[in-house]
Amino acid sequence: MEILQLIQSNLLTPIILFFLFGIIAARIKSDLKIPEAISEFLPIYLLAAIGLHGGIEMRNAGFENMLIPMLVAIGISLLFTLNHYQILRRLGKFNLFDSYALASTYGAVGAVTFSVGLSFLKNQGVTSEGYLAAILAVLEPISFIMAIFLTNMAVAKQIRAKKQSFTNDDISDIEIGIQETKTKLSQILHESITGKAIVILLGCIVIGYIIGEEGFSSIKIVFDEMFTGAIVIFMIEMGIIAGQRLGDLKKVGAFLIAFAVIMPTFNGIIGVLVATIMGLSLGGAVLFGLLLASASFIAAPAILRHAIPEAKPSLYITSALGITFPYNIIILLPIMFIVSSITHDVEGSIDLFNYIPWD
Amino acid sequence: MKLYKVKLLTVTCEILAQKNIIEILKKHNITGYTTYEVEGNGARGLRGQGFKNEKNVKVEVIMREDKLSDIVEEISRTMFANFALVLYVSDISVVRTEKF
Repeated sequence: MEILQLIQSNLLTPIILFFLFGIIAARIKSDLKIPEAISEFLPIYLLAAIGLHGGIEMRNAGFENMLIPMLVAIGISLLFTLNHYQILRRLGKFNLFDSYALASTYGAVGAVTFSVGLSFLKNQGVTSEGYLAAILAVLEPISFIMAIFLTNMAVAKQIRAKKQSFTNDDISDIEIGIQETKTKLSQILHESITGKAIVILLGCIVIGYIIGEEGFSSIKIVFDEMFTGAIVIFMIEMGIIAGQRLGDLKKVGAFLIAFAVIMPTFNGIIGVLVATIMGLSLGGAVLFGLLLASASFIAAPAILRHAIPEAKPSLYITSALGITFPYNIIILLPIMFIVSSITHDVEGSIDLFNYIPWD
Repeated sequence: MKLYKVKLLTVTCEILAQKNIIEILKKHNITGYTTYEVEGNGARGLRGQGFKNEKNVKVEVIMREDKLSDIVEEISRTMFANFALVLYVSDISVVRTEKF
């Protein structure tokens, strides 16, 4: 019951309402559009705010205990990517390229989803560990790099299998894979690490750490008080783009639609539980779960279109943006919050929503 | 004024394919080109809505005829299958042929 109530109250928050509004605007074919410069600026702004927030929290709380959660997050993210691949390839019968592209899209993180999560927690009056912003930055390229490496290996293996009937050279699969992948991978590594998302995020974490609470007060109005407002504007844009893609859902197929809902739920709840075991706070565990549940839809096409051009972008963008993103912010976020509240044994936080004055 | 006949290769493709095109041009020692962002409709649906990297781009390259067929062949072979891409060639005339 609590879950339903929390989902219901979450539905009526500005962020979700504006998102739904964007979808409706797109469905009625309105020419409403957020100007391009603004919709390009907002992700940068959101990442800057996340970074500053994270940096300040890290200064306050220290980041000595960051290492273990970060390594665990990397490990889980890689494991999940492999798991996604097996499910998509074996059960979903997708081809190699689509399977790896989708697996890494769902293994990667969504910065917009993370911003919505931060705002959700702020709304509930719950804090979270600042170093999660650093984990967001580290997780961004990892899943893609592995998927691209494995795709190239698999392709090299196929080529070798064909060649074997002609020649008897002893170069192992791994060597061919590495040879083929080396240039591509270092290029992609360089591109994603110097990409604007990671640069702005890491830069702002450092700045936030240096300036601390005091220095932040002069820019607080822009990066703290306007944060939710900026997300709301971005949500109109997200809603419009998602709305335009709803027609493509037919092409995506029932299996992927189910995958786009079940997989994040599984990943997210595992994430919350693992984070709780590692000793993260109530809010931190929710965000940790959200990192693992979210799918990338802004960074993914830019990387995958280049590295795995054979994969159909309509599959991974539509499922990540059209299904998983709305599902995550509307339904899964409250569910993870409840799960985290239960595992953290904080009855009080649940009472916040259930609270009925008896006298 | 004397005009010299050269070829104009125009490629309209998704913006994320632009890099591949330019790499192919580089491989054939062509460094000069012009690009502009465009929108339109085609076999892969309405292009130009949504995110910036879902837009289309038009790449124009002037080159001598002897390079043309290799470049067109390589673009066709490596990119037609995976990218939204239209390519056409036209005859044009320039004044300073040594530039190309």
